[in-house]
Amino acid sequence: MTALLRYQAALLVRSQRWLPPVILYAVFLGVGVQSGQPILDSLGYAAAALLPVAAWLVRICVAGEPPAARACVSAAVGPARAHLAALLVALAGAALLGTVATVLVTLISDPVSSDHQIRVPRVPAGGSGLLAVLACALLGTAVGALTTWPLLRSPGRAVPTMLLAALLSVVVTGSPAHAAVSGLVTGSQQGTVPLPLLPLAAAAVVTAGALALACTLTSRRSP
Amino acid sequence: MERDLQLDNVGRRYGLRGPWVLRGIHLTLAPGTLTRIEGPNGTGKSTLLRILARLDAPSEGRVKGRPRTAYVPERFPSALPFTAAGYLTHLATIHGLTRTSAQRAAADTLERFGASSYAHTPMAQLSKGSSQKVAVAQALLAEPELLVLDEAWTGLDTGARAELERAVAERTTAGGAVVFVDHDPRRLAGATDAVYAVREGGLARRTTPVASEPAVTGPHVVVEAQGPAGGRLPADAHRTASTAEEPHPGTYRLTVPASHSDVLLRTLLTSRPPWHVVSVRHETPEGGR
Repeated sequence: MTALLRYQAALLVRSQRWLPPVILYAVFLGVGVQSGQPILDSLGYAAAALLPVAAWLVRICVAGEPPAARACVSAAVGPARAHLAALLVALAGAALLGTVATVLVTLISDPVSSDHQIRVPRVPAGGSGLLAVLACALLGTAVGALTTWPLLRSPGRAVPTMLLAALLSVVVTGSPAHAAVSGLVTGSQQGTVPLPLLPLAAAAVVTAGALALACTLTSRRSP
Repeated sequence: MERDLQLDNVGRRYGLRGPWVLRGIHLTLAPGTLTRIEGPNGTGKSTLLRILARLDAPSEGRVKGRPRTAYVPERFPSALPFTAAGYLTHLATIHGLTRTSAQRAAADTLERFGASSYAHTPMAQLSKGSSQKVAVAQALLAEPELLVLDEAWTGLDTGARAELERAVAERTTAGGAVVFVDHDPRRLAGATDAVYAVREGGLARRTTPVASEPAVTGPHVVVEAQGPAGGRLPADAHRTASTAEEPHPGTYRLTVPASHSDVLLRTLLTSRPPWHVVSVRHETPEGGR
């Protein structure tokens, strides 16, 4: 599995297709986050914006490998594991990106509540933001895995579905990503640091299910 | 026995209500055998190979056995952001080799197919034939127990074609199973253990007609060898050779498919006590025997 992950990571890094989503995320943050803003609000924004980026990274990892090359790897390790490696590399990429963003946001934001009246401790707030970012990276990976091969093949349907699903995962009540982000926003209004462990656990369960489904279908759909 | 790959009443269709591409397939690939699959275009040969390589799961029936498999696709893309050597090193580690032996295997295999000169060329710049060499090389890196070749010879130059035939001979001699599809009826002719034809979604074993199709024999090599006094021909040599005559006591004249001549010579020279090779000569099929 290590060799497989290394191969997929090299494929992602060398293809340079990761540049557009990373630039998009940087632009998101550049527009929405400024130094001196309340820390928890900015962290919530950084987490929410990561979800579509994670889904896009999954799309790059899965669609970036030509089917014939995927077949060569799949013959050696089985198609499900080959696909899982691609999905895990995308998840790791999104988590790394989110972590870097969280650290930056934590450093440049003001450790205060939304109304600038109550002090919010910086380090616990950053930790809480990290959990929210991970929840969004996980859920974004799930969205990406469910809206690309082997579930959806034609880009004409897959890309709009992915964008819509990513948007809904952030805004619909009941979604773990929504719970994590709104937890940060409410915490900012009240001046308390939330601990979004439950949303993170829920996101992990949902993502595990989505990845398992996608990997099971690899050998059942046409290449 | 678990290295056998067995298809048991296998059927495959794409989609829940799609037409059956294959149905009622029974097939066993035993270690050390060479199997040819033939049939017209679009009959499901590639689908069958994908099931054998366990890339596709059957829609019905069962596939038993899980040999270490390598697969050569019909068309190999060069749209990979690696150099040829870099890609092969990655693939060798995925096949289970350590990093050092992976690098060595990648270099050796490229050299074997006359591709060393572009080991460090980005794959996007390789010609179609050169990337096909990389596709073939990735399958031979880690001595697979099952080698699945989907028109792997297409696009290779003459030297690489012969080298791939010899590689197939080596694999089967070492106990690996090889299954292939190729449009040239003379490909590995005389060396295949079984030929199957895909027809209307089913699979029929073709019993090789000996007299009616004399054209379907590839080039052969005649090896004359002398054994130690009273020695008998090694069993492996007997298996590899298509015919064995004993013109004088102790001297054998062996006819072997050209792809298998190296295997035969290796068997003779490494047997204990070793055999003496008197002469080796090439025999064209038109030469008349």
